[in-house]
Amino acid sequence: MVQRGAYERYVNRFGWFCVAPSVLFFSVFMAYPILSSLYYVTRRWKGMSNTFIGLGNFVRMARDNVFQAALTHNFIFMIIQVPIMIFLALLLAVLLNQGIRRFRGALRLAIFLPSVTSLVVVSVLFRVLLQTNGFLNNVLLSGHLISSPIGWLNDAFWAKVTIIMAITWRWTGYNMVFFLVGLQSLDTQIFEAAEVDGASKVRQFFTITVPLLVPIILFSAVTSTSGTMQLIDEPNILTFQGGPANETMTAALYIYRQAFYVNFDFGYATAMSYVVVIISGILAFIQLRLLGGERSAK
Amino acid sequence: MKKGLVTALALVLFLALVPAVFAQQKITVWCWDPNFNVYAMKQAAIVYNKTHADVTIEVVDMAQDIEAKISAGLQAGGAGLPDIALFQDFRIEQFIHDYPDAFVDLKAAGIDYSKFAAYKVGPMTVGSKIYGIPFDTGSTGLWLRTDYLKTAGLNPDNYAGKNMKWSDVVKLGVAVKAKTGKPLLAYQSDNFDMLRIVVQSTGGQFFKPDGSLNLRSEAFEKSIGLFKELNDKGLLYSVVGWSDWINAINSDQSAGFLNAIWMVGTVKSRPENAGKYMIVPTPLIEGVKGASNASNNGGSSWYVFSSSPNKALAVDFLKSVWATATPDTLAFYNTILKGAGAMGTFLPSQSGSNYTARDEFFYKSQPVFKDFATWMAKVPVLKYTPNYQPMRDAVAHAVLKYFQGKLTSVDDTIAAAEAEYKQVMGQ
Repeated sequence: MVQRGAYERYVNRFGWFCVAPSVLFFSVFMAYPILSSLYYVTRRWKGMSNTFIGLGNFVRMARDNVFQAALTHNFIFMIIQVPIMIFLALLLAVLLNQGIRRFRGALRLAIFLPSVTSLVVVSVLFRVLLQTNGFLNNVLLSGHLISSPIGWLNDAFWAKVTIIMAITWRWTGYNMVFFLVGLQSLDTQIFEAAEVDGASKVRQFFTITVPLLVPIILFSAVTSTSGTMQLIDEPNILTFQGGPANETMTAALYIYRQAFYVNFDFGYATAMSYVVVIISGILAFIQLRLLGGERSAK
Repeated sequence: MKKGLVTALALVLFLALVPAVFAQQKITVWCWDPNFNVYAMKQAAIVYNKTHADVTIEVVDMAQDIEAKISAGLQAGGAGLPDIALFQDFRIEQFIHDYPDAFVDLKAAGIDYSKFAAYKVGPMTVGSKIYGIPFDTGSTGLWLRTDYLKTAGLNPDNYAGKNMKWSDVVKLGVAVKAKTGKPLLAYQSDNFDMLRIVVQSTGGQFFKPDGSLNLRSEAFEKSIGLFKELNDKGLLYSVVGWSDWINAINSDQSAGFLNAIWMVGTVKSRPENAGKYMIVPTPLIEGVKGASNASNNGGSSWYVFSSSPNKALAVDFLKSVWATATPDTLAFYNTILKGAGAMGTFLPSQSGSNYTARDEFFYKSQPVFKDFATWMAKVPVLKYTPNYQPMRDAVAHAVLKYFQGKLTSVDDTIAAAEAEYKQVMGQ
């Protein structure tokens, strides 16, 4: 009995029992792939056969305009979409929190719903709306807002706009929920005091609400940035395999296509994934520094 | 509580083992089109079950990413794969090349390949081994809406059955567009297939015998020139993606399209199309040696995975229904032709009653299957190679840029396609 007690002091069997599944899954689905990727990255893969090429995959990347263009598209989407989305999410959260009194629950649900809707279903609908002779162009044409139909899906510029609209539509509600929670945790006395001092609602928003929500904005910015770096569904389904002519190709989609579609080259795909992971890491670090530093200075 | 857990585990284990025991008598097939190949395979299953009532054949409609799922399964040594899968003819060489030994050699299993159309057997042959059972043909034609032709003051009968040149087709298209406002052809702006039909009809090849890219050929240059002309004269109704292309055709956006026999099912799925369509032979590009008024697009074949635990049964199923001429199997080929427009490439089947029948759905009851079968015999053979897919993407991208004015000449277009191909291939 004594022995067993001593043993259990060091090894809490119930504790291990509880974490065993996650340790197991982590080892199989995280640790093992990461370790084996070190092997893959040095090889040129072709189906079942592969050859050692050292850093050859990185040399290949440096010459691969399709991959470089894909990364550029990721950056374009990120730089334009993340700020727009965070601002919209914040605005909607404030409106739902203060401005709108009726149907608040229904509106909250409606705005959140896109992020839990199946993307395949959504894309089918979007494509119907965005066709050259689709609903959106017809509305714009009959309203005399445009003179000729916009190629939402097959023009290099407008296809990027389409992707940005689609991901903004999908993720704004999701981020809004975080802001709503943040807003509800703010002390109403601060706003009452500001009101007494004669600060307008707009002034309150920019000088009180936004600074107090910086931790949540930071969280949103970091997750959304890494989300846009991993963007794959919309360009694959909505603009069809990164079309038109690779103009909405993203890094993740190109990696997927190299590994499972075009070349079965898992080595090259792994090497490109490394680059994406490193870029995402650097971006997250910069954001934490910029916004996080400001917060600790307060 | 512990006892409960043990019981639960035992139950799970038992349930996991049950299918394994019965799996001996079950064949799983992956394909992707419920109105076409899924339908055909289900009909085949009915025929097989007449003599093998104890075998369950499950046909799975794997429309999303079937090739990615199969390549993941092959990487995992066959885990999660079905017994039989359908592959596009233009994709199979890549799989056979990159995954040697993944498929069962069916020649060794006693299939008589002289009974199949030779151009279908080529891509599935490596040395003395032949891996697939040819399924359908992709014999092509130019599909025209006779009602729009009439509106434009043209008599469809002047074109029916005629071997046309592309220059005649452009004239026809301009006339139809002027009167009806409809572009002649529905066109997928992101897709290579229509260009492939034109290039193949010239007898052109995308690759040289040594496997390197062969885009600087007269056939290819003239084909791209033709496409640019069609585009600039407003004769293409451009859409993005397959479903939108189908939608354009079935919502009267174009006066026709250039595609294969397997569009019969789609066109027939809309009752309003009745009596309107006629199909004429694939037009010819004048001045290219070896060009013919016939081409091919699509077409696929059945393959058995070496990893399948039911290899022998799967092979027996394919062999006895798809590759043996008996009254039952010939009736089967005749049925899927009428039911889905699926024209098999098993030569003994081509005498079935539905092959020669007139079809009232088409303009003046054109015997469409007879016509497609006649054209099929003239199709120039196209060599796909394992690198067809990246070439296909690169060319489609370059042509789209040429249409949009980002590339200004046929030469630049070919150079752009070659550059993208090399980059994606890592050459």
